[in-house]
Amino acid sequence: MTKNALVEVQHLKQYFPIKGGIWERTVNHVKAVDDVSFTIYEGETLSIVGESGCGKSTTGRAILRLDEPTAGEIRFQDLDILKLNKHDLRMLRKDMQVIFQDPFASLNPRQTVRQILNEALTIQQVVPKEQRSARIEELLAHVGLRPDHADRYPHEFSGGQRQRIGIARTLAVNPKLIVCDEAVSALDVSIQAQVLNLLKKLQAQYKLTYLFISHDLGVVRHISDRVMVMYLGKIVEIGDKKSLFENPQHPYTKALLSAIPRPEQKDKRERIILKGDIPSPIDPPEGCRFSTRCPFVTEACKQADPALRAISEDHQVACHLVNI
Amino acid sequence: MLKQQQNEPVLEVRNLQTHFFTDEGVSKAVNGVDFVLHKGETLGLVGESGSGKSITSLSILQLIASPPGRIVGGEVLFKGKDLVKATDKDMRAIRGNQISVIFQEPMTSLNPVYTVGEQIAEVLRLHQNLGRKEAWAKAVDMLRLVGIPSPEKRAKQEPFQLSGGMRQRVMIAIAMACNPEVLIADEPTTALDVTIQAQILELMKELQQQLGMSIMIITHDLGVVSETCDRVAVMYAGKIVEQLSADQLFTDAKHPYTQGLINSLPRLDQEQEELQAIQGHVPSPYQMPAGCAFAPRCPHAGDICHTAMPELLQHDTDHEVRCWIYTPEWQGNDSTMMKAGNAS
Repeated sequence: MTKNALVEVQHLKQYFPIKGGIWERTVNHVKAVDDVSFTIYEGETLSIVGESGCGKSTTGRAILRLDEPTAGEIRFQDLDILKLNKHDLRMLRKDMQVIFQDPFASLNPRQTVRQILNEALTIQQVVPKEQRSARIEELLAHVGLRPDHADRYPHEFSGGQRQRIGIARTLAVNPKLIVCDEAVSALDVSIQAQVLNLLKKLQAQYKLTYLFISHDLGVVRHISDRVMVMYLGKIVEIGDKKSLFENPQHPYTKALLSAIPRPEQKDKRERIILKGDIPSPIDPPEGCRFSTRCPFVTEACKQADPALRAISEDHQVACHLVNI
Repeated sequence: MLKQQQNEPVLEVRNLQTHFFTDEGVSKAVNGVDFVLHKGETLGLVGESGSGKSITSLSILQLIASPPGRIVGGEVLFKGKDLVKATDKDMRAIRGNQISVIFQEPMTSLNPVYTVGEQIAEVLRLHQNLGRKEAWAKAVDMLRLVGIPSPEKRAKQEPFQLSGGMRQRVMIAIAMACNPEVLIADEPTTALDVTIQAQILELMKELQQQLGMSIMIITHDLGVVSETCDRVAVMYAGKIVEQLSADQLFTDAKHPYTQGLINSLPRLDQEQEELQAIQGHVPSPYQMPAGCAFAPRCPHAGDICHTAMPELLQHDTDHEVRCWIYTPEWQGNDSTMMKAGNAS
C-alpha cells in the first residue's frame, strides 16, 4: 500500500515569549516545540505521547493553526497552512477538526445539541438548509445518541455522552483530519472504552485520519498505527506501533513504558524509575534534552543534540547511544 | 470477614451511609459500605466517578459538608472508637495526626501564600507541641525523607516554585509528619505524569515499610491498585460490590462490573481489535434502579437482579462478591458467566 502524506510538518518551532519588567519586554522564551518534523499519512492514526510540557498539545494546535508557529512549514495536502489568509484558513478548517479533552468546557451550555451541531453546519455550508435537520439526526445516530437528545442541553448529559456530542460536531463538516487532544483522558475507563471503539468505527467508516494526543500509553497502543514520543519539545522516537512498543530504543521511551503500572506482569519486569523532574522548557539542557535524567548518559550526550536517525524503515530514534 | 490476618484491624467501617439532601432529592452517595483496614496493609478502594469512593474517605474523616451532606447511619471504628460520634475537638486531634490524608490536586491543597516548610511545621506545632525552631528542623527532615533535593532551600519556597511531583511530595511530607497510623490517599497520583507517578508510588511503599502505617488508596486506576495494594474493594453506586486480594483482581474477579472494568482497559501486552466496553452509564444518584444498581448495564442480569439488591457474600477465602449469580437463589438462564469467571 502506498502511503499518501496528508500533513507534512517541517522544522516546526513554537516559542512563547515571556514578558518581564515594567516595559513588558520579552525577557525569554518557552521553547514548547523546538524543531520538529514529521508526516501524517492518509487514513492512519498517528499518536503523540509524552508527559506534561513536552509540547504534544502545542504541536496539535500548530497544525490546526490555533497558534501562530514561530518558524517552520506545515503542508496539508498541497497547501501551506501557515501562509493562508483568514478566509482560506476558514475553508480549510472544514477538513481539519479537533476534539478537546474536557467535554464539559468545550460545549456551549446555553445551546441545545441541535443548535451546537447546526452552527457547525451553517458556518461551513456543507449541507443545504433544508437537509440540516436530517443530517443532525444522522450524526447523532452515528455517535450512538438518540434523536430526542437533540433538544437537550449539555448539562443533561454524562461526560461520555458529551464527548459523543463533541465528536458529532467534528463529523458534521466531513473532515479529513481530526486532532484528538486527550479526547478520552477525562472519562472513566468503562466509558473511555466506548468512546475509543466509536472513534475506531468512525475512522473505518469515513476514512478519517487521526492525530491522537495522549499521555496514556495503553490507549495509544490500542488506537494508533504509528507513535511519536516527545520530550521537552523534541521528538525522541517515532515509529510503527509494533516496533516502538516491542522494541523501544530511546532510554526515555523505555522508562515511559516501564513506568506504567501493568497489572498483567507485576513481578517479572525491571522497572526504570527516572530521577528528578522534567527540566524547564525555558532553559532546556545543553546537548540531548534527556541527558539530565538519562540513566545511561555519557559526555557526548551533554555536548551535541542527537538527530533523528532511522533504525529501520519505519522507526527513527534520536539518541547517541543507539547503534545503527 | 475478609482476610483473617494476624494483624489487628486499625480502621473498621460498618454499614456506612452518607446521604446528601438537596433540592433535587436525596442522593445516597454512600449507601452501606463495610470494610476493614488492618495494620500495615494497603487497601485499594476502586470505582469510577460517582461511585462514592471519595465520599467514603471524607466520611471517615468527618469532613462531609453539612448541609447538604450527613452521615445517616453506620460506624467508623478507629481503634475501637466510633468517629461518627466523636466531637469536633476529638476529630481535630485525630485528623492529620493519627489519620492523615493526601488529596489528588497538590496545587489546590497547599496554601499558596505560605512556604512549604511553614506548612509542614504548622502540623507539627499543632499536634506535637513542638516549638518554632524544632518544628522547622523536623519539617526540613520530612522534606529530606520524601526525597526532595536540597530540602533546606526548598523549605523556604512557596508552592508555585515547585513542580507537580514535588508538591505531591510536600503533601506526603505533611501527611507523614506526625507518623500517622492510617494514611488515606485520595487519587494521589492521578494529576501526575507516569514517570513521576512511579516515583511517588515507590516513595509511599518505602515510607510504609519504614513507618509501618496502613494505607487506603482511593483510585480509578486498576494498574495502580495491582501495583501497590494488598487488597481491593470495588465500589459501584455507593456500595462495595467485590472485595478480593489484589493478586486475584486480574485473574479471578467475579462481579460482572469488576470484570467489565478490567475488560475495558486497553492492554499494553496484547492487541485488541475492539475493547469490551460496559454498555450504558452510571445511574444518577437520585434515581437508583430498584434491585442491583448494576443490573441495567449488566450483560448477565436476570429477573431477580431488577427486584432485589444482593448481599455482599463470602465467595472464597479473601473474596466477597455482591452478585445474585453466586447465590443459591440464582435461576438465571445465563450459565456462561460462571464458566467465563476469569476476566482476562
